[in-house]
Formats: sequence, C-alpha cells, structure tokens
Amino acid sequence: MNDPYRVLELGRDASEEEIKKSYKALSRRYHPDANINNPSKVQAEEKFKEIQAAYTQIMKERTEGYQYNGGSAYGRNSSYGQNSSYGSGSRYGEDSYGGFGGFGGFGGFGGFGGFGGSGQGANTGYEEDSYLRAAGNYIRSGYYKEARTTLDGVEPQDRNARWYYYSAIANSGLGNNVAALEHARRASAMEPGNSDYQDLVKQFESGGSWYTQRQASYGYPTTGSGNICFRLIIANLICNVCCGGSGMCCGGGGFY
Amino acid sequence: MFGYIIVNKAEMKYKEFDIYHSYYCGLCRKLKEKYGIWGQISINYDMTFVLMLLTGLYEPETVSGTCRCIAHPFEEQGTLSNVITEYVADMNVVLTNFKCQDDWEDEKKLHKYIYGKLLEGKSKKRKDFYTEKVRNINMMMYDLAEAEKENKKDIDTMSGMFGQVMAQIVVCREDEWSENLGRLGFYLGKFIYLLDAYEDIEEDIQKGTYNPLKKKYDNPDFEDECKTILTMMMSECCKEFEKLPILENVEILRNILYSGVWCRYEVVREKRIRQREKTDE
Repeated sequence: MNDPYRVLELGRDASEEEIKKSYKALSRRYHPDANINNPSKVQAEEKFKEIQAAYTQIMKERTEGYQYNGGSAYGRNSSYGQNSSYGSGSRYGEDSYGGFGGFGGFGGFGGFGGFGGSGQGANTGYEEDSYLRAAGNYIRSGYYKEARTTLDGVEPQDRNARWYYYSAIANSGLGNNVAALEHARRASAMEPGNSDYQDLVKQFESGGSWYTQRQASYGYPTTGSGNICFRLIIANLICNVCCGGSGMCCGGGGFY
Repeated sequence: MFGYIIVNKAEMKYKEFDIYHSYYCGLCRKLKEKYGIWGQISINYDMTFVLMLLTGLYEPETVSGTCRCIAHPFEEQGTLSNVITEYVADMNVVLTNFKCQDDWEDEKKLHKYIYGKLLEGKSKKRKDFYTEKVRNINMMMYDLAEAEKENKKDIDTMSGMFGQVMAQIVVCREDEWSENLGRLGFYLGKFIYLLDAYEDIEEDIQKGTYNPLKKKYDNPDFEDECKTILTMMMSECCKEFEKLPILENVEILRNILYSGVWCRYEVVREKRIRQREKTDE
C-alpha cells in the first residue's frame, strides 16, 4: 500500500484535525455518489477506497500509538497488516443478534508481537498443557471466542498464571474488559516476576491514563452547591418528579 | 437508565451550549410531531448526544428554526434538526417503549401504533433495516431483563447486554463506520449500565432488588474499583470516537465524553461520602 499520509496529501507531522479535514474533503470528492456521471468513475471508486484505507490505517496507528506508547514495531505490523483480527471468532455475543463486527480488532494489542516472541522464549513447560497451547494459538490468530471456549475447558484447580494471562487477552478481545483487567492482575499476582503479565496489566490500565490525560483539557466536574453542572442535574431530577417526564421542552402548538 | 450522557455546562462556551440545546429542542419537537405527548416526555439528553455524534459524522443538511415550549414559555428556543433527528427520535421511542411495556395496559395496541409510526414513509430497504434493528433491540432488552431476574452476576455479561443495545442504536446505517460506531456504543452502553448500578446500589441492597455491583460493594476499595471500571469503559469508547472523522461540534462532543459523563457520577459519589460521614458520626 502507498504511504497513507501521501494518499491524504499530508505530511507525517499532520495534526489529527488536519487528517480528518483532508480525509473529509478527499472522500467527498471521490465518493461513488458524487461520481455517478463521471466517465472515470471506476478510478474514482478505487481512489475512494484507497483514501478510506489510508485514513483507517493512520487513525489506528495513532490510537494505538498513544495507548500503548508506540508499541513495538513488530506488534504494530502484526496488528494492521490484515483484517484477520476481525475474523469470525472475535464476535461478541451471539450471531443471532446480527451484531456488527468484532471486538477483537481493537486492541491490536501492540503487545501481541512481543507476546508471540515470549511464547517461544518462555516455553518452559507452561504450555505443555494442550488446552493452553490451543488457547494460545487461537489468541495469536484473533479467534477470541474459540480461545475462551478452550480456556473454559480447564478445571478451576488447574488454572495457573498462564491461564489467567490468556484468559485476560481473550476477554479483552471479546469486549469483556472488566474480567480482562481482573485476570491480568491475577496472573501478575500469581507470578510477580513475569514481565509479560505486568505489561498486560499496564496495558489495560494505560487505556485509562490515556483518557485521563485528554480529560484534563475538558475540565473534570466538581460538585458543590454553586456548580452549574451540579445544578443542571438537580434541575433534571426535580423536573422528572413534577412533570412526570424529563425536560418537557419545546411543546408543540397546543401547549401554550 | 438515562440522563448520564450530558454536557458539563460549566466548561462550555455559551455558543456551544446554544447549539447543544437547539439539537435537544429539535429532537423534542420531532418526538412530539411524530409520537405525540408520549413521545415527547420520553426525551433525554443521552439521545441528544447520539444525535450530535451522528450529525458530526455524516454532516446531513440541517435546518434551523425556533419554537416555544412549556419548559420555557416566554422565550423562543432555537431548534436544529436533520434526517438523523428522525432516526434518533425513532430509537428513543423504541427504547422507552420497551421500558414501559409492563406499565401499559393496552400495550399491544400502542406497540402497533409506534411500530407503524416508526416505519412510516421509509423505503423498503430502510424498512427491513428498521425491522431488524427494532427486533434486535427488543430481544436484547428482553434477555437483559431475564438475566436480571435470574440474578446473574457477571459484570461484563450484564453491562455488555446493554452495550449491545446502545451499539444497535448508534449504528444508524451499514457502512465503513459501523464497526467503530458499534464499539463506541457498546462501551458507552456498558458505562451507562454500570453507572446506573453504581447510583442505585444502596437502594437495591435495601430493597433486595437486582444490582450487578452487589458482590463488589463490600470490598473496601469499592469506590476506587468502580471508578477504574467506569474510566476503562469511557476510555474504550473515546478511542473509537477519536478514530471517527468528526469535525463539526467536536468540542461539544468531547465535553460530553471527557467531562459531562462524570457529572452525575460526582454528584452520586459526593452524596454517598456525605452520608457515610453522617452515619460514622
């Protein structure tokens, strides 16, 4: 693929806003709907797809960038080289809902790269267990649901640190982020010296610190009787009580 | 389960608040126009967020107008509305319709009425899309209610069910953004569900009603843990938000996502701490 920044006609140091602006302008110009009567509409559509892909790649790179402090190059490549992480196995919930997409794609888990590596390096008998080996393979391919099922087949008394580690990754891939954090902490507590386990806990927690950093520029609400935010809520609550519904705003003709 | 996704007015410019309020009024008017008083009283700020989110993403043609209303009888209110306003009004009614199903006597008649209004004037493709969406949402809400009756305790499963509902709501069409929007909605839904549980925990313990956080409540670090979990949800939600090419009103949306969503949380926490101090004295 071409350099995504060049596709969007930008330099590598472009701000997020510039990227979004450029994407919007270009995608509007090449959108299939805008090129119905264009003699070279096939090329326009190709271009549109290219713009779309470039934008997606840049945004993914940037989100994972600030989330995981850049991550290792290896981890990165593996996370967007292909869409396999959106594969069938990663759907959350039941397909009967006709849900959209998986939750598997997101993490990209920059860590995965390193994780594959450590799997080879630290093959010190942890994965003797065929269940764990299978679960590890599923996770490496992004099949979180299958990994989950496999892990659940292990008897509770046989669940070691490695089990909790895999379980944490599988849960995260399935959108179960509360259990993911719990299991990562558990793995780390069971084997405090293991840096993979520590890193995973950090990875989950750093999602929070990324958020808190951004939050700083929007002001965290403070309470107290003089605070407007606080009053807005109280007003809402009162309104709920006396009008029987919240915020009866903008009544139509018959109301006044 | 509404009223959590709001703005932090203290941190907002007047102009921004006017825009926000105009979308709210536009939605309210649409609800009244399409569903009458029943629709109108179901309005909430959370759906205004969804409206502005989708408007920012798709930038549909938006019409401005004015109206008077019962809440502000002496002033004219600005309204902003577009094609998404109608979609959000429909979704608002689907959600509240389900919530109230137990209360209404001639529930079926009403359901039929609402369903008819929902599909009014829609193309065949759009009708199918709506039918499936409404069925999915109803199914998920039903499953969630059943799971609560069974007293299921897994936090991810329970909040995830409501997350799926929110995901259904924010994905207003199948396109290149469905996946991002779906995840955004999913984590936002989890956040709403758990914040609601956090707010009601004492009452639920007292009354013996369902609450997914009961098991955690006795832990000494209950407060910290709730904050960590809620922050994690918003963090995942915002990661998806930041990937979307939204420029229009993006500062209002960020005010909501990074600050406004914590307003109600802070009010609840403060109240709880004060009550604890009182009982300790």
